[in-house]
Amino acid sequence: MSAAECPICGAELTLGDDLVAGELLECADCGTELEVESTEPVVVSEAPTEQEDWGE
Amino acid sequence: MIVIKIGGGAEIDHEAILRDLKRQLDGGERAVVIHGANHEMKIISEQLGKPPRMITSVSGYESRYTDAETIEIFNMVYAGKVNTMLVALAHRLGINAVGLSGVDGGLLRGPRKKALKVVENGKRMIIRDDHSGRIEDVNVDLLRTLLDAGYTPLISPPALSDEGEPINVDGDRAAACIAAALGADRLIILSNVPGLLRDKDDESTLIDRVDRRRMDEFETFAEGRMKKKTMGAAEAIDQGVGEVIFADARIDDPIEHALRHEGTVIS
Repeated sequence: MSAAECPICGAELTLGDDLVAGELLECADCGTELEVESTEPVVVSEAPTEQEDWGE
Repeated sequence: MIVIKIGGGAEIDHEAILRDLKRQLDGGERAVVIHGANHEMKIISEQLGKPPRMITSVSGYESRYTDAETIEIFNMVYAGKVNTMLVALAHRLGINAVGLSGVDGGLLRGPRKKALKVVENGKRMIIRDDHSGRIEDVNVDLLRTLLDAGYTPLISPPALSDEGEPINVDGDRAAACIAAALGADRLIILSNVPGLLRDKDDESTLIDRVDRRRMDEFETFAEGRMKKKTMGAAEAIDQGVGEVIFADARIDDPIEHALRHEGTVIS
């Protein structure tokens, strides 16, 4: 199981073995939504907060 | 002024709709038409070896994943094949139609969605290569110029992004934007169901009237593509459209039936 730190509050994030790039997570400590930028190595950043929208 | 959205599902009777439109126009009505092409898009995509991949947003709205290859097919199907065929059919029936995509004349403009949050295989994911967006501006001058010159605009997605690219936009919400921008009295959304149904598998459970102030209670009955139709309806009403009518596109005189409130009326 991988581990990384929340870039906002520094809390340790426990990550599953099936982690994929592009996955969205929530920091259990501060509640910030995070984006997994890569898995080797594990890099997470704060996810963008954009209004939801879609096409046809 | 009425704005009519023709759904892109199977079983839509385009000839009946346009025949009815001709009667309305001959009676002095002015109209703008927007159409979808979802069913045709699915067929053509599969024939080209690029079957549709549907994605579901984090709040449950389904749409087509529109990568770079898909937007090319989208342009060909919506603005090319289907729009051209509908405009030709309109002319055969005596309607002086002009076919436009949202790109033409910058008719429908807005930002491309740079990051889309979806749920896939139980995981929340972010997608960054989707060519979808939302409409923030309607070129009303272009529509009024055409209408005043005696043309009936027949409009299709895509829209034009702020960066000058074609983008996939939801047709029902595009219809709402156009209706609001024109100050239309009515927006009629024709699809392959009679309207909003309590039970989507039972057409006898039609909900015939929805008060916009109580929309939240009825949105729970909207599933699949109907979710976006109800969102489009709410947006239209909030932006000043008098009423929105969901009605059946599979019957004769569908516009007349809709104007008589035979469907789901939202106001």
